[in-house]
Amino acid sequence: MNKHKSMLYTAGITGIALTIGGCASPGEPPDADLQSAESSLQQAVAADAREFEPVLLNDAQNKVADAKNLIEQEKYTEAERLLEQAAVDAQLAGARADTAKALQAVEEINGNIESLRNRINQDQ
Amino acid sequence: MKKRNITLGMAVGLSVFISGCATTAPENPMVNEARASYAKIKDDPDVARSGDRQLRSARNELSRAESLLESGKDTVRIEHAAYLANRHAQIASEQAERARLQTQIDSAEERRRKLMLDQRSNEAEQARTEAEMLRKRMEELQAERTDRGMVLTLGDVLFDLNKADLKSSGEQTVGRLAQFMREYEDRRVRVEGYTDSTGKDSYNQALSERRAQAVRDELVSQGIERRRVETKGYGEQYPVANNDTSAGRQQNRRVEIVISDKDGKIQTR
Repeated sequence: MNKHKSMLYTAGITGIALTIGGCASPGEPPDADLQSAESSLQQAVAADAREFEPVLLNDAQNKVADAKNLIEQEKYTEAERLLEQAAVDAQLAGARADTAKALQAVEEINGNIESLRNRINQDQ
Repeated sequence: MKKRNITLGMAVGLSVFISGCATTAPENPMVNEARASYAKIKDDPDVARSGDRQLRSARNELSRAESLLESGKDTVRIEHAAYLANRHAQIASEQAERARLQTQIDSAEERRRKLMLDQRSNEAEQARTEAEMLRKRMEELQAERTDRGMVLTLGDVLFDLNKADLKSSGEQTVGRLAQFMREYEDRRVRVEGYTDSTGKDSYNQALSERRAQAVRDELVSQGIERRRVETKGYGEQYPVANNDTSAGRQQNRRVEIVISDKDGKIQTR
């Protein structure tokens, strides 16, 4: 009985140890995060971030590259963090590029209106 | 045994250290920054309208960062959450700015559309007025629309019989033409002389040429550039009436002035 109890105890300890070990062990590679970071990058490039926000876009790209290295080394937790950051960096780069383009459009159309006005005033 | 004591001591020390921090509310500059970024946008209606998802992500990450900070978790995790919170807030702010600009673009486009409409109706109005003016002026000249264009016929009242000098009534008529040509600078004219069939062909030919030239000279003397005026004598060709009656012959003795189109082109016979 006593022996049995001690066996149970050992099993419990082993279980806890396994659980803890599980946490410490690499776990699952952050595939979904990699995918979403890469699609954020693509969207940023499509929004002309290369032209308007090259530095931030570059940061995001470097983070993805670093994360891939970390994944190869099975450092999944760190890789996941980098990928999450890369995704928001890329999204911000894309959003800033969109804003910059909208600003250009405002200036262009206002210039357009100005020259139209001038032409109309000349005609009259 | 000694080692164990040291470990225990360190653990106690650490917990004292941590609780010491907790009493003065833990601080982290990145969390502060994220908090500031979030505070800046949380009540912005444009953010609520256009960056709502990012705003919520910012709020979630910020409260995660704050609770990690409260419970004294490691800095990497705290700052990671703060980083994400900050970025989400920045993205939300960009989206709101973008939406504001889009509103400006939309209203500017509306204004431009209206202006273009105004301009077009202005131009149409102007073209109508100009055409109307031209028609009136042509009418004043008594020009007729023919398949050669607008043709102004000056009867033989301009000249005495067999003479090529313009009479003063002729000068007035030519003066009206000169006035018209000064107003419409892109128009040219072709002055054509015609006679009746009395007399020799060669005489009539020469007479028609001299009469055409007399009209040109008068135009030039009234300030019209010579290159805008062509002359041609047709003698007794192209009669417009029967040469057997004196009324018919009088109609045939004439000068026709063909007015060019606005590109300066004149149809010849």
